[in-house]
Amino acid sequence: MSDPVAEKVIATLASVKRIPADSIKLDTNLQEMGIDSLDVFSLVFELENAFQISIPDDDVRSIKTVNDVVQGIKKLLDAAPSGASPSSAPTPAS
Amino acid sequence: MPPRRVAITGIGIISPLGLSLEENWDALSHGRPAIAPIQSVDCSKLRFQNGAEVRGFDPAKYFPGGKEDQLDRFAQFSVAAARDALRDSAIELTPELRESCAIVCGSAVGGQAAIERGFEDLWVAGRGRVHPLTIPKTMANAGASHISMDLGLSGPTYTVSTACSSANHAVGQAFRMVRNGDVEMAVAGGSEAFFTIGMLRSWEAMRVVAPDTCRPFSKDRRGMILGEGGAMVILEPFEAARARGAKIYGEICGFGMTSDAHHLTQPTMEGPARAMRAALRDAGLAPEEIGYINAHGTGTPGNDPVESRAIRAVFGAHADKLGVSSTKSLHGHALGAAGALEAVATVMTLRHGILPPTANYLGRDPECDLDYIPNEPRAAKVGAAISNSFAFGGLNAVLAFRAV
Repeated sequence: MSDPVAEKVIATLASVKRIPADSIKLDTNLQEMGIDSLDVFSLVFELENAFQISIPDDDVRSIKTVNDVVQGIKKLLDAAPSGASPSSAPTPAS
Repeated sequence: MPPRRVAITGIGIISPLGLSLEENWDALSHGRPAIAPIQSVDCSKLRFQNGAEVRGFDPAKYFPGGKEDQLDRFAQFSVAAARDALRDSAIELTPELRESCAIVCGSAVGGQAAIERGFEDLWVAGRGRVHPLTIPKTMANAGASHISMDLGLSGPTYTVSTACSSANHAVGQAFRMVRNGDVEMAVAGGSEAFFTIGMLRSWEAMRVVAPDTCRPFSKDRRGMILGEGGAMVILEPFEAARARGAKIYGEICGFGMTSDAHHLTQPTMEGPARAMRAALRDAGLAPEEIGYINAHGTGTPGNDPVESRAIRAVFGAHADKLGVSSTKSLHGHALGAAGALEAVATVMTLRHGILPPTANYLGRDPECDLDYIPNEPRAAKVGAAISNSFAFGGLNAVLAFRAV
C-alpha cells in the first residue's frame, strides 16, 4: 500500500485492537472487526495524536469502514492550514 | 424463616503472593513474604523503596484484543479474581440465578492510577487532552460493573469504599444479602492497584510506611508496607451448596461494624472492640470458640498496641489462648482489597488447620502481649476465626468464619 494516511490508520487500528496490520483492509467494517463504541473513542484519540488533528464528534458517528476513517482524515488534513496544525490539535509532548 | 447459613464455595485471588489460590496458600502457609523493592515506580527519591506488588500479571491474557485498555489495573484484578472464583465454585448459572446474584466490591481509591496518568498528560506532558476512557476507568464501581458485564450477573451490584475496611464491608454486605434471602448467590471481595508516584508520595506524606519491611506487633516495627491485588469469593446459601455437592471452603457466620467517631487516623480501642463483639454476637459465637484472629495488624506504631488491647478487652483470659497473626507481613497492605485477601487467608486457615505466621517478627513489644504466631506457621485445628479491618476515618468491620 502506497497511501501513507491509510497505512497510518491501519497501523493505529492494529495497535488499538492488538492484531496484525496485514489482517486489516480498507473495506474492513469496524464493527465486524470487533470495534465497539468504547474502542472508537480510543481509536479517535490515537488518530488525533498520530495526525495532529481534531476530529469533530459528528465525523466520529459516521465512521463505518476503515476507508471511511481514511477519507475523513484526508478531508481534515486538506482543510488544515498547510505547515501548521489546527489550533485545537494536541500539542506534542516535546 | 430462620436466617440461612452462608457458604464460601469459590475463591479467586490475584495478590503479591501469587496469581492463584494455590500459590497464595502455599506462601501463606509457609510464611513466605512477597515484600521487595518496588519495580513499577521509581522510588529512589522516596523515604521508602519496598512494597508488595503483584508480579507477572499479564492483562492481555485476561483481556485480549486491546480490551485491557478499557480497565484500570484495579478493575482488571476484580474481573480476573471473579472469573477464577466462579470457575472454582463450579456453580451452574441458570438465568434465574444470574438475576439473583449480588456483586459487592470494596476499593479504597478505585482507578486513581488512570486519572493520575490523565493529569500527567495535561500538566507534565502539556498535552491538551486526556485519554477518552479516563472517567470509566477511574470510577470506583468499575470493578463491580466489569464483573457484572463479564460474567453476565445482573443482581444488586455496587462498590463500597471505606478505605482499609472496604473489602470487609463489601463481603459483610454480600453475606447479609445471601443470609437474608435477598439473593441466592454473591460475588464479593475487593481490589486495589495504586502504585503510582502520586499515590506513593501521598502515603509517604502520611509517614506511616516502613522504610524496611512490615513487622506487625513486633518490637522495632516502623510502619506498613503498601500492597495491591484483588480477591473475590462466591457466597451461596449453605444448604444450596450442600445440595449441589459443592466444595465448601468454610462458612461466613457473622459480621460486625462500628465507627470510632474520634479521629481520622488514630484508632480507638473501643471502636474495634465493639466491632469484634458485634461480629461474635451476629455469629452466635462465644469468644472462647474463636481459635484464630487474622488481625488488621498494619505494623504501624499506632495500630498494633490498640488492636492488641481491643482483642484483650473482647476475649479476656481467652486472649492468651488465641493465635493472632497479621498476614499483611506477607502480602502487604492492599487497602480496600486487604479484607478480601485476609478473608481468603482466614477461611483457608480454617480449612487446612495451619495458622499463617506474622512474618518479620523481631521480638516482643511490651505493648503487644498476645501470641502473634511469630515467623513460623503453626498446625492447629481451629473451629472459628475472625478477620479484622480498621480503616482511616475510624471505620471498623469484622467478619466471623466457621470451619465446616
